[in-house]
Amino acid sequence: MSAVTLRKVFKRFGPVEVVHGIDLSINAREFVVLVGPSGCGKSTTLRMVAGLEEVSDGTIEIGGRVVNEVAPKDRDVAMVFQNYALYPHLNVAENIAFGLRLRRIKKDIITASVNDVAATLGLSELLHRRPADLSGGQRQRVAMGRAIVRQPQVFLFDEPLSNLDAKLRTQMRAEIKRLHRRLDATSIYVTHDQVEAMTLADRIVVMSDGNIEQIGTPMELFLNPINTFVAGFLGSPPMNQLEATVSYADGGPIAKVGSDIAIPLPELRQLRNAEGHPIIVGIRPEDTAVERNGAANAAGIKCDLDLVEPLGSEALVHVSVADHPVVLKTETRGAISHLSDVQEFFVQPDHIKVFDQKTGLALDHPEVA
Amino acid sequence: MTETVSQQGVRDAPTTGKFEARVRWLVRHFRKEWQIYVLMAPMIIWFLLFLYKPMYGLQIAFKDFSIFRGIEGSPWIGLEHFQTLLGNDQFFRAVGNTFIIAFLSLAFAFPVPIILALMFNEIHHRIFKKMAQTIVYLPHFISVVIIAGIVINMFSPSTGVVNNVMGMLGLEQVYFLVQPEWFRPIFIGSNIWKEAGFESIIYLAAIAGVSPTLYESARVDGATRWQMMWRITLPSIFPTIVIMFIIRVGNLVDVGFEYILLLYQPATYQTGDVINTFIYRQGLQGAQYDMAAAAGLFNAVVALVLVTAANALSRRVSRTSLW
Repeated sequence: MSAVTLRKVFKRFGPVEVVHGIDLSINAREFVVLVGPSGCGKSTTLRMVAGLEEVSDGTIEIGGRVVNEVAPKDRDVAMVFQNYALYPHLNVAENIAFGLRLRRIKKDIITASVNDVAATLGLSELLHRRPADLSGGQRQRVAMGRAIVRQPQVFLFDEPLSNLDAKLRTQMRAEIKRLHRRLDATSIYVTHDQVEAMTLADRIVVMSDGNIEQIGTPMELFLNPINTFVAGFLGSPPMNQLEATVSYADGGPIAKVGSDIAIPLPELRQLRNAEGHPIIVGIRPEDTAVERNGAANAAGIKCDLDLVEPLGSEALVHVSVADHPVVLKTETRGAISHLSDVQEFFVQPDHIKVFDQKTGLALDHPEVA
Repeated sequence: MTETVSQQGVRDAPTTGKFEARVRWLVRHFRKEWQIYVLMAPMIIWFLLFLYKPMYGLQIAFKDFSIFRGIEGSPWIGLEHFQTLLGNDQFFRAVGNTFIIAFLSLAFAFPVPIILALMFNEIHHRIFKKMAQTIVYLPHFISVVIIAGIVINMFSPSTGVVNNVMGMLGLEQVYFLVQPEWFRPIFIGSNIWKEAGFESIIYLAAIAGVSPTLYESARVDGATRWQMMWRITLPSIFPTIVIMFIIRVGNLVDVGFEYILLLYQPATYQTGDVINTFIYRQGLQGAQYDMAAAAGLFNAVVALVLVTAANALSRRVSRTSLW
């Protein structure tokens, strides 16, 4: 399996630049997920790796070889598309065998490979059906089968689960993860769904407006987002962000939100002598509690209850803090009556992230400091 | 028994009141959708006036028709005209010519628009593509009379460009349009030149409907442009090809009668006289309207059989059919 390296890669469509010189190193056998909102350049980046889009500037290497001028078929990559891209006139077996037949591989080898892949993906019973006679999940499996059967150096996935319903998406996500573990192949996966990114990736690349915002393992990104964009993109619901100014009370830094709300902040070097500095206070919904529960150092923050969304075992409590909307996530085990009189919530200062309001960067992130 | 008509109308109505329920449903339907019927009206009127009303006159094929006695007053003579036709060598020659020209057209003219569309699809230079398309569409918009004039001039033995070029090459000059063996190639060839471009539009539209990701996927899989054309484009537009084929078979015996009339002459009747020109000569020039009606009816029945057979065959073989 091959490593993939992007060096200062730009993509321009006429005068419009959509990818602004990104650098990315993907190790062999690694599962990397490119995630970001629509139009952030993630699919364009993947298509440049596949060879479906030309690189305007910079280089792309696959297995140490610069592939900028190499045709897609000679890059030894396989791609799974969002709309499956199955040939409607061919049956499942012929669809899977398509790439092998183009390479004039012997018929008996093709048959054996197709049967093997079909068995892996649970398609053995469907080999003679046409794509029109398959369900969405089955079609997606065929699309993956077509990629797997070629045993490529690199797998490219372009939002492969976007067209499936929520339940099927969860199932297929697990299947892709199992498959990657089994094939141990370098994989680049594009999605706008942060849950897919968190569950599948060895490393996540968060993109925005044609730039890479942050690269790291899912937990690194979740716990230490480099900026407000990453903080707001990963996590469901995303991190609450409150505009505030730095102040001091009882010898420690606090964030003043509005005129009368004070939130204790973690003891950070960057917060020393920063009186009045505009910041953004980041609080994950999961790090909040509606009761103190014996956490002595947890700070209580006054709030006004807006509404409660019960989700079964947990509930989302929508409140406002000095007119800023905040979402709290709390375990309920089905009992939500006590949430109707929430006037205060609790959060430990160590769990609070602090961002510079001007740059949006996290004050304590190693790459920023 | 009390009759009940639900929102679904006919389907839920009891069997005894089925007719009344259907009428009520129709009234309700017309009230609700009258705008659609207003839009359809001109087409329906056209069909009734020009295609259904003349069918009344078809009975003269079975009568000894005289314009003075009129359709009603002319006596029935059964299948006499058909018997006369079947004993007429000229009619048999016309039937034979119709089928030969029709099948040659099918073999040579039918694939050309498909090939043209595939070729246009491979042109990526926008201006060149538009220019090429305009050039091949243009002849369609020229009147068939002018086309015939151009062809007659092109193949003229004295001033025709073809004979001039042949003369320059030291070849003997040929009067193509009076030689029976040249009539069919010239007729079919010039027809291809006139119509192939315009007919390619429908295939281009079908090609435009093929998902671009199929090609991208094939590129990653290792397909060349030639392979993509054979393995993706052509199979993807196959249902359109089948539908066009059925329509073409339906019109098989209708081999461009006006154009033949403009191109042929007694010297080329041997290969150029078709059923429709035969009907024209019998009916209008020879005033044998009853005989011409019989020949026309024969033509229509053959067309009906052909299109039904083609449709049934296509449904069985390719799962695509017109109805």
